[in-house]
Amino acid sequence: MADHHVIIDNLVKTYPGAQKPSVDHVSFSLPRGEMLALLGPSGCGKTTILRMIAGLIAPSSGAIRLDGRDVSAIPVYKRNMGMVFQAYALFPHMTVAENISFGLEMRKVGRAEREERVRKALDLVKLAGFGERKVSQLSGGQQQRAAIARSLVIEPELLLLDEPLSNLDAKLRDEMRDEIRDIQARTGVTAIFVTHDQDEALSMADRLAVMSAGKLEQIGTPLDIFDRPQTHFVASFIGAGTFFEGRVAGPGLAEVDGLPLLHFAGEAAIGSSIKLMVRPHRLLLAGEPGQPNSFSGVVEHIVYRGQILTLSVRCGSRVLQADLPTHAGVLPKKGDNVTLTVAPDDVTLIGREAA
Amino acid sequence: MSAAVTAPASGAPAASRGILLILLLPGLVALIITFLLPLLWLLRASFASSAVGALSGGDWTLEAYTTVLFDPFYWRVAWNTLVVGFNVAIFAVILSYPIALFLVRTQSRFRGVLTALAVAPLLTSSVVRTYGWMVILGDRGVINSTLQSLSLTDGVIRLTNNSFGATVALIEILMPYAILAMLSGFGRLNVQLEEAAAMLGASRLKVFTRIVLPLSLPGVLTAALLVFVLAISAFVTPRLMGGGRVFVLGTEVFNEATVTLNWPLAAALSVMLLVLFSSIILLYQRALRALEV
Ligand SMILES: Nc1ncnc2c1ncn2[C@@H]1O[C@H](COP(=O)(O)OP(=O)(O)O)[C@@H](O)[C@H]1O
Ligand SMILES: [Mg+2]
Repeated sequence: MADHHVIIDNLVKTYPGAQKPSVDHVSFSLPRGEMLALLGPSGCGKTTILRMIAGLIAPSSGAIRLDGRDVSAIPVYKRNMGMVFQAYALFPHMTVAENISFGLEMRKVGRAEREERVRKALDLVKLAGFGERKVSQLSGGQQQRAAIARSLVIEPELLLLDEPLSNLDAKLRDEMRDEIRDIQARTGVTAIFVTHDQDEALSMADRLAVMSAGKLEQIGTPLDIFDRPQTHFVASFIGAGTFFEGRVAGPGLAEVDGLPLLHFAGEAAIGSSIKLMVRPHRLLLAGEPGQPNSFSGVVEHIVYRGQILTLSVRCGSRVLQADLPTHAGVLPKKGDNVTLTVAPDDVTLIGREAA
Repeated sequence: MSAAVTAPASGAPAASRGILLILLLPGLVALIITFLLPLLWLLRASFASSAVGALSGGDWTLEAYTTVLFDPFYWRVAWNTLVVGFNVAIFAVILSYPIALFLVRTQSRFRGVLTALAVAPLLTSSVVRTYGWMVILGDRGVINSTLQSLSLTDGVIRLTNNSFGATVALIEILMPYAILAMLSGFGRLNVQLEEAAAMLGASRLKVFTRIVLPLSLPGVLTAALLVFVLAISAFVTPRLMGGGRVFVLGTEVFNEATVTLNWPLAAALSVMLLVLFSSIILLYQRALRALEV
């Protein structure tokens, strides 16, 4: 941790006049070259964190360290960080090349080198030949690329992206997702991007920091976050799932209202209250009634989504969500009696590492 | 302004074009009656030989124009007018710019109130405000009496009855217009652009010179034009602050029209003012196009 490239240490921000802090004792760190996603619902403080790192606003308390050096006192224009704004913020009175060249001019880079680096940056984001265009003559996707080129050409210590894809239409978004990932990998720049879109975060980031109401809930790899959520918030914010409140009845056994004993993976003291979760795609249609973790019920509702079929199955007082692959032979219909099953390993104990 | 009239022309179905014409008709009629006809009459009057001729038609002559063009006095008047106009425009714009910039950028919840305050002087007549300036700048005004009671000066410093006084008063009187014009012309300013520039390494000074200034230039230009046009056509303020000793086109038109009753000459001078306006507006449009591409 201590040798990490970027360290965010107990950052707090309370806006003037606000009752509660918008960012509340948040700490995390990134090794060099990592891409971290700050994920959370709108208003949870993601942008505020990014702006504190950038130096656009001052933290109420806490430190931001780059290579062990506290940069909190360094003014924004000397921090050498690149920022891609949600609305791109390209300078409308300059050409694309002038936009990209701006940061180099501020660094007093000579004209010849400037031109060379601008050309390379344009190549990097696949905008070769667009340098002389006015910003208004670019499409949304191209403006996004230009903004990325502008922030990378200065070879920033850290690249910050605030909801970089939210202004693009769905198809372009998928394309830019790969592209940004690719550019980041090729340049090796350490990057933090903010998003409220879980798919975006899971597919682009090396690690995710999930936030809620100003607090950091959990930080980990996409797999960690998805399969081993530490809090109910993380489990419900990322992906769908059916949640169970229960009491531990024995080793790996839980009593849950309205269902037979549930087998789960993980350790918990007998008699303690726990929270369990089953992801819809972990429920299989293969169970025999009476086997462990088998739930028989009636299909109440079906949603067809192309590759998967989402079933709502009523088992006693509970409704279970199950995703079935549509190529899996005969598919159940509404009103059918079905038996669902789930492996104990796939019944996740929330808030504790799985065994 | 002209865009609103020409925009729907091509491609609009015939029926809706008919409706547009009907909608435009009242405004058009009003413009013809209050603007075009008087203007034509003014042109006609400038070619008449006397006030009577100006009213009733009669003969055509270039007499008024020969006077205007060959009498050095009127060249001086035109020159004075331009000097006053430029000075007023430049200083009004320089003084209004920080105010307008502040009003556009402030996050204060009093922004609306502050904006209203900035343009509130428009609520009082410019005559009243001119008299206010006479109280301040006059020979026995606030400034002179203060300086004298502090024994900093012996005699009176002439601050009125000259073009200095007229210029000062016009600057203050026209500043609200400059502020309004800038507020509406600063649409391309955006705090995020300034933040982006700062992130790229621009100091506050660089952010101003490279981002804020260029993006606000169209608004500045509009304000300068508006103030200039209002300043060169001003009559009351130069007349009162000049004490009859400042000769600009506005005061001379008034003189010829009401004192010497030389209506053809007054009309010719007005035409001269119009020519000045038009050339300035042409220049302005050129400059704006160069700025905004
Ligand atoms: N300039 C500001 N002044 C006061 N409160 C703010 C300001 N910016 C954001 N906030 C508040 O801080 C909280 C977090 O905002 P933000 O960081 O923009 O969230 P996110 O980017 O996650 O949507 C919100 O409740 C918001 O209302
Ligand atoms: Mg945000």
